[in-house]
Amino acid sequence: MEEVINELMGTIMSNQLNIPALQPVLDSVSQLPVVGLLISFILWKPVFALLICPGLSTVGILLLFFPWVERKLCGRIQWRVGPREIVPWLGGLIQLLADTLRFLFQEVIVHKDAHRPYFLQFAFLSFIAALLPLLFLNAGNVIAIETPYAIQAMLALVCLFPFFILGLGWASNSRFAYIGTVREAFMYFAYEISFIIAVIAMVVLYGTSNPLEMADKPWGLILNPIAAFTFFVGAAMATSRMPFEIAEADQEVAAGPHVEYSGIAFGLIYVMCYEKAYILCGLMTVLFLGGGSGPDIPGITPLLGNDLMGIVWFLIKTIIVLTTLFVLRTIYPRYRLDQGLNIGWGAMITLSLIALALSIVLVQGGIVL
Amino acid sequence: MEKEEEDRNIRILRTGVLSPLKRWSAKWSLWPCHFVTSCCGVELAHAFASGFDGERLGTLNMGISRQANFILVEGTITRKMARPLRIVWEQMPDPKFVNVIGACGQRGGIFWNSYNITRPSEIVPVDFFVPGCPITPEGLLRGVRAVQDKIAGKDETTIKFKKVTLPSEGTGEESTAPSSPKKFVPTPLVKVDIARDVDWSSGSAIVSNLKSELDGLYKSITITDKNRIAIKTAPEDLVEVARKLSGNVGVDHAKSVNVIDVPHERKFILEYMVSSYSSKELMPVIITIFTDIVREAEPKFPSLTPLWESTDYSEREMHDFFGVKYEGNEGMNSKFILAPETQTPLRKDFNIAEETYVFDESVPLNPPIELTSDLKMPAPEGLFDEAEASDEFMVLVGPHHTGSGHLRWILRVKGDRIVDVTPDPGYVHRSMEKLAENRLYIQNVPLFERANISDPFCMNLGYVHAIEKALGIEVPERVKYIRTMLAELSRIGAFFYDSGIFGLFTGHSTAFMYTWAIREMILEAVVRMTGSRCTPSFIIPGGIRRDVPKDVLDMTSNFVSAINKRLKKFEDIFIYNPVFVARTRGVGVLTREEAIKCGVVGPFLRASGVDYDIRKVEPYAAYDKLDWEVTTGDAGDCLGRYMGRYEEIKQSLSILKQAVEAVKGMPRGDVINEDILGEYKEASEDIKGHLFHVYGDLVLPKGEWTSVIESARGTLLYSIISDGDSNVPYRVRIVTPCWMNLRGIIEASKGERVADFWSVYGSFGYFPPEADR
Repeated sequence: MEEVINELMGTIMSNQLNIPALQPVLDSVSQLPVVGLLISFILWKPVFALLICPGLSTVGILLLFFPWVERKLCGRIQWRVGPREIVPWLGGLIQLLADTLRFLFQEVIVHKDAHRPYFLQFAFLSFIAALLPLLFLNAGNVIAIETPYAIQAMLALVCLFPFFILGLGWASNSRFAYIGTVREAFMYFAYEISFIIAVIAMVVLYGTSNPLEMADKPWGLILNPIAAFTFFVGAAMATSRMPFEIAEADQEVAAGPHVEYSGIAFGLIYVMCYEKAYILCGLMTVLFLGGGSGPDIPGITPLLGNDLMGIVWFLIKTIIVLTTLFVLRTIYPRYRLDQGLNIGWGAMITLSLIALALSIVLVQGGIVL
Repeated sequence: MEKEEEDRNIRILRTGVLSPLKRWSAKWSLWPCHFVTSCCGVELAHAFASGFDGERLGTLNMGISRQANFILVEGTITRKMARPLRIVWEQMPDPKFVNVIGACGQRGGIFWNSYNITRPSEIVPVDFFVPGCPITPEGLLRGVRAVQDKIAGKDETTIKFKKVTLPSEGTGEESTAPSSPKKFVPTPLVKVDIARDVDWSSGSAIVSNLKSELDGLYKSITITDKNRIAIKTAPEDLVEVARKLSGNVGVDHAKSVNVIDVPHERKFILEYMVSSYSSKELMPVIITIFTDIVREAEPKFPSLTPLWESTDYSEREMHDFFGVKYEGNEGMNSKFILAPETQTPLRKDFNIAEETYVFDESVPLNPPIELTSDLKMPAPEGLFDEAEASDEFMVLVGPHHTGSGHLRWILRVKGDRIVDVTPDPGYVHRSMEKLAENRLYIQNVPLFERANISDPFCMNLGYVHAIEKALGIEVPERVKYIRTMLAELSRIGAFFYDSGIFGLFTGHSTAFMYTWAIREMILEAVVRMTGSRCTPSFIIPGGIRRDVPKDVLDMTSNFVSAINKRLKKFEDIFIYNPVFVARTRGVGVLTREEAIKCGVVGPFLRASGVDYDIRKVEPYAAYDKLDWEVTTGDAGDCLGRYMGRYEEIKQSLSILKQAVEAVKGMPRGDVINEDILGEYKEASEDIKGHLFHVYGDLVLPKGEWTSVIESARGTLLYSIISDGDSNVPYRVRIVTPCWMNLRGIIEASKGERVADFWSVYGSFGYFPPEADR
């Protein structure tokens, strides 16, 4: 028994997050009986990845504040202010808190035509399903499950999203939900293939699918910009962003699959879209922007240590990509379904194949690595 | 409305341990559901766009009722709209709040005695009323604040009245109650064709040509005014006359269908106003074909839709109003724009409430309105079964839908293609034509303006123009230019309105915000000139209410430059956006023939290649003295219609600039014609204080007076029938451009994809309150 505990403690202690600035504090705290154990458990990299970053806490904070950033930013672009009056001196920072609480306290209506068990299940399931890829997402060298197949595993989980949206639409049993669901299904097939090929192109280019190894290589955005572009457009399609907000088009199909949801069930679906976007942007950072790698900043890097700096760089890059993705909303109108499909099956697949060919040429030609 | 239902929402918020949190979150997260019910929606959009930015308060406009918790009832709730209001309210999750904005939502406002309006407070529990016609955005936001306060627990938003006793004057004389200024002649002589000598050189030639073509079919052909000809026929000959006109003379479209009820002579006068786009000579001429039929419960008359499809919806409208059954028209089995329970309201024996001038216990302050409790929204019978049988899918869009506006569209789709569209208008039908028959001529100026508050000056100008024609008044030169200026301002405003809505329909919210910011400037100029944002009633018979000062003119010309500058940004982000072009190019094509056939008017007709602009064809105001061009295109698709209008707006900006310069160069002087002022000559620079003296007893000469002008969205026709003795019109027929364009939308969207419907709809700039009147 003791051996097992010792071995476990050994595993935990050998893979701790190293923060030089906090080390003295951590050392003294670790002497305490329970708290010390708890802290070393949290600072154990896999657990840290799951609970803190890039895991649940980061997602939670992002969900609370990123929609605010989006609304403020869009407001500025559109010559207005955005949410403000709730706390004027913070520019309405906690607006999303009010919205979330309001959804929480509001009635959840299940209309009589809906398939009741599935209608409720899918709202909650989809929220959880959207979190699964976080198991394989790394921020710097912090990752929950380290495996050479992390990218593939993530991709497989990412491709699960649409099934839950289809489930939402099907369980709603309403005309607009039906049209929206069919649109979602069409769009899913249109972007998925090129999206996967773009990722494969990067895996081929890097020669590995372990995200921790990718961080040491040059940026994918520079090596293979075509793959980066294809991936980005694919991400916009997957998260239903403009100009591909086809399945949820408000003015056409009245929010599509979500039309019948209210209260906290809708709240979960609403944030799911942001979860999806965060995960895809995180993946984009890992694949194309060097993940958690970044230049040393004198004075800060020695204090925070490489582990934490990796996380910081990862978050900065992800948020930049995320913001770009969300600002698209203010720039483009929406494509029609057939045009979206055309782009997916035509231009996108062509581009992704070119990207794959480029990767092969780069690798075979020995230009890279 | 039960008390329990009214208090339910506040009760939910005030119970439980978490009550402070519930209240705080509900207060800062009032999401209004997108439920546009009437014209206050224009100001609502202003309140949530760049200028006022309602999102500051945490109120984010949400399209879907299930996710919203707040309804902003925008003005009039008609009988037809009452059902959707209740349905939407019931669809929303608790706790939910209702804010009624606009005067019509309280006691009906200017439409108080209309047969088609209801009071929202009898349909749903209302938390706060914001008065105004229309409300201002500030007022609206104050209403939102008031609801927030109510949620937070500060209920004292109602003024408490104190009872006082007035000292009686004790003169002993009993004062007489004021009598109604309205004069009705009990058995008026209604004549549509009264011959007049007018200065119209080609008139006699056209008439003799008509006489030879229609030999033996007509009873009389008279020239009633310049460019106006009336042909009287026997009922059985009318169709033949129409066939001859369309076949031999080149008349290719109908401008209006009208019925005049003359109960004391037991007859209906049936009118068709037709004209031609193909013959240059006939372009400005409006030919009225009319006949008398026997007045009975459901008189039958052959429809003219096989000849001129553009009469279709107007005939259905007349069927609703008068019960005339046009045989051959498909829509004669059900109501088109009225609620199912309303019967033939425009017949003279259908009475509406009259004003009372003295408080009378026996007359209730709020006349009771009978509402049906039936929440079903009737759809054409058999449509669903038929569609299901042929493997098609019905999509009901609206009236509560982010992309529907104030009417319902029943799309019948096969796969992603639209097979057929059935419109269901009338949700904003405020019965202006009936109300006008019951008001003084001058009282109708603000009434008709409310048909379209995004284009108020053109609505004004058309009506006033008809009166001036009847009275034979020429307005002062300065006024002509000021009127041109105002009309162009409102045309530009309407274009930006439609662009914003088009932007929203294609999912481009930035376009909406930019255009609304530009509109804010136009409204500012209008406010400085007239004192009101949307409903100035500034143009009156004989002139305008008061002169426009020089500094305002300077500001207006500055605004023109500012608009031009912002237009560039708008171009970059919206008009030349590749996605927007992809969405609209080649979509919803109407060829020249199709456009004429289905009666499309205005810039949308010009986009299909018809060179017809009333400002050139039959110039009014100062349009013939300014330098501008008519823009036409031949693409006829959504992009063509939009770009055509965009080019036209560039011309409008130039007209505006020229008109402003011209007014600046003129000496200040009279702004109202001296003849109409009579003994009140001192009012010639400002009508303030004399309006009722001068215009209260205005009586038009006997006959029918028709004016057409080019409003922002196309040909606007007013036809006033006066009996020559009453000081209220006997009948007013308004044909608004949107009403005519409705059929164009239907035709253009057939065969297109589902998502294209919103491109077509947006490109037509359809404004439902204008169409429904």
